[in-house]
Amino acid sequence: MRQWYTIFQKEMLENWRNFKWVWVPLVILLLSIMDPITTYYMPEILDAVGNLPEGAVFKMPTPSPVESIMMSLSQLNTLGVLVIILMSMQTITGEIKSGVSEIILVKPVSYSNYVTAKWASFILISLASLFVGLIGSWYYTNLLFGDLNFIDLLKVFAFYSLWFMFIISLSIFFNTIVKSQGIILFLTIVVVMALNLLTSVLGKYFNWSPSQLSQHIEDMLLTNHISTDLIMSAIITIAASLLLLIGSITFFQSKKIVE
Amino acid sequence: MTLLAVKDLTKTYGSHTAVKHVSFELTKGKCIALLGPNGAGKTTILRMLAGLLAPSTGSITFSGYKPNQDIRKEIGYLPQYPAFHSWMTGREFLIYSGQLHSLSKKEALEKADLLLKKTGIYEARHKRIHTYSGGMKQRLGIAQAIIHQPKLLMLDEPVSSLDPIGRRDVLTLMEELKENMTILFSTHILSDADEISDELLLLKQGHLLESGPINDLRKKYQTAMIELQFTGDIALYEQKLLELPSVTNVINKRDVLHISVTDVEQARDEVIQKAALELWPITQLTMNHSTLEDLFMKVMTK
Repeated sequence: MRQWYTIFQKEMLENWRNFKWVWVPLVILLLSIMDPITTYYMPEILDAVGNLPEGAVFKMPTPSPVESIMMSLSQLNTLGVLVIILMSMQTITGEIKSGVSEIILVKPVSYSNYVTAKWASFILISLASLFVGLIGSWYYTNLLFGDLNFIDLLKVFAFYSLWFMFIISLSIFFNTIVKSQGIILFLTIVVVMALNLLTSVLGKYFNWSPSQLSQHIEDMLLTNHISTDLIMSAIITIAASLLLLIGSITFFQSKKIVE
Repeated sequence: MTLLAVKDLTKTYGSHTAVKHVSFELTKGKCIALLGPNGAGKTTILRMLAGLLAPSTGSITFSGYKPNQDIRKEIGYLPQYPAFHSWMTGREFLIYSGQLHSLSKKEALEKADLLLKKTGIYEARHKRIHTYSGGMKQRLGIAQAIIHQPKLLMLDEPVSSLDPIGRRDVLTLMEELKENMTILFSTHILSDADEISDELLLLKQGHLLESGPINDLRKKYQTAMIELQFTGDIALYEQKLLELPSVTNVINKRDVLHISVTDVEQARDEVIQKAALELWPITQLTMNHSTLEDLFMKVMTK
């Protein structure tokens, strides 16, 4: 446990020194508040830049607070996921490539400590970033579109953070089986896209898939009730993340000898 | 006492076999040089001993452990091209290394400062590692390898990439460390092996050609030869030397007579007797003590 904490502390320090603790929250915040704000100011923006014919009138429906929060989530679902992958895609391969792992792994470092400490450090950044982003989105939602209960926001955070956890587990998993960062990025995105595609095509059978989380979160906000589907999606997401983590440790270990 | 025994070690990469059925033992307290030309399999062997590579076949047994058991606690290892977390300072990296070896924060701190002083990089302890020179990195590399006082220290080409001053510093450091731990280091530079090692492992293309204490090997591969220098005309004596019973051949190279003999000591006595009798103007008589290079060349071309 002490060794785990040593590695975790090193990861935290590294992510601080390479500014991940700065740019990730900033980008996530930006992504979260972008859509609510641009939607609100869309008429003015169109007025200012669009060469609209004289007398053209646009009627835009004002989104509800729930729709506003969901706009943020849909940004996070695409670009946010990319940011999370970019942040974590070289955590293990980078060290193998630079040769640091040759010096670190000849020390009696437990492979599971090594993998899980890295995992935990990225979870922490991404959850902190998500929290900052959602607070931003919540602030502008309240300001521009109407009240949203803070407790509801916390529920959104609690369930949506599982999606980020899943992405990080996926990225770390590919870190342990593929050497090239580009391929890690590619594979992680392919898996996420495949999951999204399967969910939308075969929704019936994939109702509890991790990528359904945001759909269920929206239902939760609309009905004010945590559905079984949401709970099951959450459980499946946690289970999948743990499986990926166990897989990562197993793959990583099998590359080296420890008997 | 045997610290580590390697039996029938083989490493295959696809169709290429980097290490072929190598067996040897490391004696506790010795400094052993793993000597061979580039591509001989030195790094592969060290990596397998360090647990970074799995052997294809064969066993590595550390004293007190089962064969192929995880021995990372007992060893310190410095790769040929050490890479560090270059965003850390030298001191931070040493503390981190110590803590990974389950030293407490306080112990790691004390050890780190001690080693920074011992390796002569204490002044740069608060600088980021990416600002360090090659020599400083090598010293930091040695420091991180010994912070937990390993029983076996393995260094992969510790001095090959250093300038003469850095080389001298590292060799001096190794000389000191020899007192406290067994050292196995690889090199392709003969004079380094000659200078500090007690035992040799000679490798070529994955085969272990020779191994043993350096003096025994010297004796084994020593050429029976005497060199003689004279004032005056050398040619006069060539014929006379050939008449001696234990002399087999005489060659004149740059006014030095290289005399091949059947037995060095007997031949020496014969030469001295004859020279004393006839008052030869000898300026120098050398009984050949073959260099490590002769030995190396002989083993490699065997």
